[in-house]
Amino acid sequence: MRINPSLTARLRIGFVILFALLLAVSLLGVGRLFQIRVDFEDDTARLFQLELETERMRSAFILEQAATRPAVEGAEPSASELDQAAASFAAAGGRARDETGGDSVLSGRLESLITAEAAWREAVAGPVLRGRSPPPKVRTRLTSDVTNSAEALSVASRGARDSIRADARDDTRSTTILVVAGLIGALLAALILFSGLINSMRAPLARLVDGARRLAGGELDTRVEVGGPVEIASLGSAFNEMATSLERDARERDRIERMKDDFVLTVSHELRTPVTVVKGFAEMLTAQPNALQARQYEAASVISESAGQLQNLINDLLDLARSDAGKLRIDPEPTPVGPLAQRIGRQMRPSFEEKQQRLTVSVENDIPDVKADADRIGQVLSNLLTNANKYAQQGATVQLTAGRVGSEVEFAVSDDGPGLGEEELEHVFERFWRAQSGETQAVGGTGLGLAIAKSLIELHGGAISADSKPGKGATFRFVLPIAKDGK
Amino acid sequence: MTRVLVADDSETVLLMLQRRLEMSGYEVVTATDGQEVLDLLDDGGDPDLILLDAMMPRMSGVDALQKLRAAGHKMPVLVISAHLDAQEPERMLSLGADGCVPKPFEWDELMKRIEELAGH
Repeated sequence: MRINPSLTARLRIGFVILFALLLAVSLLGVGRLFQIRVDFEDDTARLFQLELETERMRSAFILEQAATRPAVEGAEPSASELDQAAASFAAAGGRARDETGGDSVLSGRLESLITAEAAWREAVAGPVLRGRSPPPKVRTRLTSDVTNSAEALSVASRGARDSIRADARDDTRSTTILVVAGLIGALLAALILFSGLINSMRAPLARLVDGARRLAGGELDTRVEVGGPVEIASLGSAFNEMATSLERDARERDRIERMKDDFVLTVSHELRTPVTVVKGFAEMLTAQPNALQARQYEAASVISESAGQLQNLINDLLDLARSDAGKLRIDPEPTPVGPLAQRIGRQMRPSFEEKQQRLTVSVENDIPDVKADADRIGQVLSNLLTNANKYAQQGATVQLTAGRVGSEVEFAVSDDGPGLGEEELEHVFERFWRAQSGETQAVGGTGLGLAIAKSLIELHGGAISADSKPGKGATFRFVLPIAKDGK
Repeated sequence: MTRVLVADDSETVLLMLQRRLEMSGYEVVTATDGQEVLDLLDDGGDPDLILLDAMMPRMSGVDALQKLRAAGHKMPVLVISAHLDAQEPERMLSLGADGCVPKPFEWDELMKRIEELAGH
């Protein structure tokens, strides 16, 4: 099993280890320094004591010598004074033994001093007390043996004291270096620990950020690799769950949307045949006016006209449903602008004449062909002209113009009718929206013409717009790309 | 009198087409699917024009068109197709049709095409 502790656990473990390391280094270092100091002071005191005892032994030896050689002329050497001095020498020697601290050089020197003094008492003091003077040469040699031994012991103690001081200084320095090194090591370990912690979070967090951006950009199949500390890993899992849920919702929405499109498409399609039949038979009746009574003829005319409206509505709905389902297809080919505009103008002219309106069609000279589905653009133009015809008052003037603008051709249908308000302009391309103001209330139509026009123009890669001021008429413009192999 | 064979799976559409054509002076024979069209042709009395709905149950107009052309029938065929696909007319012509009108049709346009093809 892979061990993957949580962030808090990692931090806690890190802090505990760091704290323990620092504590251990500090305690060891301080303890050792303290011990060095204590040892140094103990040794110094001991050696000082040793020197003191050495001096005492020297003094005692001087007293011993004095006892064997009285300063006052004619006085007898005193055995009691000699014994007293020898005792104090022995006592100092015994105390000095305790202060050598196991140092072989010091104890060797001390023992030779004690031995030399014993030899002096044996060979010099003993005979003198018994009244026989030892030969002066022997006396001088043994005396200087003692004196030299004492001096050697003093020198050795001083030397020992110097070397102890030097050792203590060296130990202090090395311990300080060790402590500093230990502290730096602990800090480095902490640094490595924390940067490892941060690194272990950085890659999974970067993946999450990247994943979130891609998800926001619409890539709903985005999933992130789950990893890193437990908290980051569970954030990754939660992110993936969210992405899955979003994807599922989006799929469901698309499915419902498709079902709706299919439904509208199917219904419109199924409605077309019966409406065609109704219209067909009604037209057959109205085609023989003489065979019908006036009332029958009137009824047949109304049926025929209504069936015609219904047919238009169904065709418009079908176009929009196809457009929504992405099934509205166009067949763009290089199309001459002039003949197209003239043809639509001709088709629409009867409607304009009915309202005593004037329709002018003007196409710029040498206009290039557009890349367009002629039938569909014809449909757009007749939708725009139908609107102008319906909304403008009796006797109005309506213009259909076409001209080149840059790499496109602009078509414009303008009228001097009642126009549209700013707020109305925002809605003109919406489905089933109709201008509601004043005189235009009585106007029929499916309310889908401009929505279809917008879909068709956009399908051609063009753009359509409306421009109007209340009372100043309205202009609808759209642009189409020029055919590449056009004139 | 010019004989027109009309095939459509909808009886009302069929009746409407029949009456309308009769009003214009055609003799009309009807069929409700592609197989019936082929059976009628086998029985002889070749029509001067066939009006064929592209989509019909059992045998579609498209299949019937291919079969009757394969059988060597040369009379003009006008296909009525509900597909508004821009490529549909071309496809029909390549299969041997003489024309293709979209469904739902405009009477004037349909009659004009029938007159052209039947030489009425």
